[in-house]
Amino acid sequence: MSRPSGTNLALGAWTTLVFLFLFAPIIVIGIYSFNGGRLLTAWDGFSLEPFKAIIERPTVRHTVAVSLQTAVIAALLACALGTLAGMATARFPGRWAGPFTLLLLLVSVTPEIVDGIALLPWFVTLGQDWSLLPFNNGYVRLVIGHSLFATAVVTYIVRARLVGLDASLEEASADLYARPVTTFFKVTLPLVGPAVLAGGLLAFTLSLDNTVISSFINVSGTTSWPVYVLSSVRSGLKPEIAAVSTILLVLTLLVLGLVALVLKRSGSSVTDTMAVN
Amino acid sequence: MRDEAHSRRAAKRLPGFVLAVPAWLWLTVFFVVPFLQIAWFSLGEKPGMFGTHSNAVMSLDRYAEAFSPTFFTIFRATLWMSVLGTIACLLIALPAAYFMAMKVPAHRRGLLVALVMVPYWTSFLIRTIGWKVILSSEGALAGFLTDVGLVADPHDLLNTRGAVLLGLIYNYLPLMILPMYVAFDRVDSALGEASKDLGADRLRTFFQVTLPLARPGIIAGIILVFIPMMGDYVTPAVLGGAKGTMVGSLIASQFLTAQNWALGSAMAVVLILLTMLIVVIAIALMWCVGWLLHRRSKLVIGTVPPPDTRPHTQEVVTA
Repeated sequence: MSRPSGTNLALGAWTTLVFLFLFAPIIVIGIYSFNGGRLLTAWDGFSLEPFKAIIERPTVRHTVAVSLQTAVIAALLACALGTLAGMATARFPGRWAGPFTLLLLLVSVTPEIVDGIALLPWFVTLGQDWSLLPFNNGYVRLVIGHSLFATAVVTYIVRARLVGLDASLEEASADLYARPVTTFFKVTLPLVGPAVLAGGLLAFTLSLDNTVISSFINVSGTTSWPVYVLSSVRSGLKPEIAAVSTILLVLTLLVLGLVALVLKRSGSSVTDTMAVN
Repeated sequence: MRDEAHSRRAAKRLPGFVLAVPAWLWLTVFFVVPFLQIAWFSLGEKPGMFGTHSNAVMSLDRYAEAFSPTFFTIFRATLWMSVLGTIACLLIALPAAYFMAMKVPAHRRGLLVALVMVPYWTSFLIRTIGWKVILSSEGALAGFLTDVGLVADPHDLLNTRGAVLLGLIYNYLPLMILPMYVAFDRVDSALGEASKDLGADRLRTFFQVTLPLARPGIIAGIILVFIPMMGDYVTPAVLGGAKGTMVGSLIASQFLTAQNWALGSAMAVVLILLTMLIVVIAIALMWCVGWLLHRRSKLVIGTVPPPDTRPHTQEVVTA
């Protein structure tokens, strides 16, 4: 720590202001989830009414249920695809890895709106023009839309974990005449386990929050929670939206805490792993 | 012996990249192909009232239409807001990231980084709605600013370009702080001390040693912030009202309201290409400025001999 000087005090004050700025709207949402008024933006006394409204209103419950189900399936899918891809990129580098890494990079930097507007016509082509009926199903569309970026994230995390580990354990297993499948399940998978769990939980929170892609590929009847919130921005925001958001925020923080804990116990750096995307 | 057995077994085994094939296929079918279809649609037209797209007649007319005055005005506004937003993020993040990486004791840095990440992993939409609550005409801020006389009407805060700009800066600030923090964190403090030992003051050390070394992180931050800002659609929808429309909203309306997929596709392709072009130009400019500064501050030690007598003793040290 350098000695406190005028410059350092000013820098510290600036950083404190930046943190206040970052947390201001989150704190406001937390407070306004106890708003007894009819509209979210107009404060009308403290009340637990918004939390009761969640239980009473079926639309809120249904959209949250859609989001949670989609998030679980999308996370599992992203884990399966991303774990295999991450192991391949870490353990079998070759000429194929360049184009594949470029594809992952493109998936990560493309603005979500481009994914959304490209997927909508593609689902219509698949589901209506080619009569592949599953693609007309709202859940299938949401899971696919949410799995793209999440697959890239899981791949990065699993690769980062494996690159940091010596391949000698797997080689030893092969030398002891274990079949590749046995090596995979008995050696490699336990090694990458924490990274897969961390990636999966991140994929879950990403899917839970996905607004842009979901709003394009939305099928009525399977509207996800963020799409419902976005549509009520136009029709009038109710305090129960803040209440659900507060609950989801606490859930997300618990999940993130779990990720941090898992990564810490498995010995890889939290900041390096989470700052990849 | 064992090596031979090993390689025989390896030959029978499938090549390793097979593991990446499922992800590769998945991303090709649901990322690459949909995008190619959009590019294909952009060459077509909207057939009649009820169709969304048709490629019966191929032309570049949709691109001409996409560059119409309306689109161009909104595109210019979007570009202007994204550039301003990126610069603001840079200026806000730079001192904070520098402080976090260089001045905070090492054991507290992890906590601060986690605190930066919490808003980033919180719902983007909900955070933006949080600003809508703060800026709303019924809110305390609008009342205070009207009482002080800074704002004429409490309705002046929300649904303006300024509100959208604030939302953009807020939403993407963590993406600027994190790579900058990592970059400053990796700068070797010995180099800064060497600079001070050689007589440079703190300001000069910062601008001529620390900042150039952190350049990769700064460039990463600019890319991570600028690209999503150009395509943002949620922030203007929540905070901008009718006045804060950005290109993202315009493209979305072609797909969701006007049902003109051909024009919407052309606009999307134009957006992507122009964004890429601007990023490439910006990076090239930054490298040029860096190179010029580098050239100016280059230091040559020893006398430069005439080229014909001692050509091999020239030693160049850069600051």
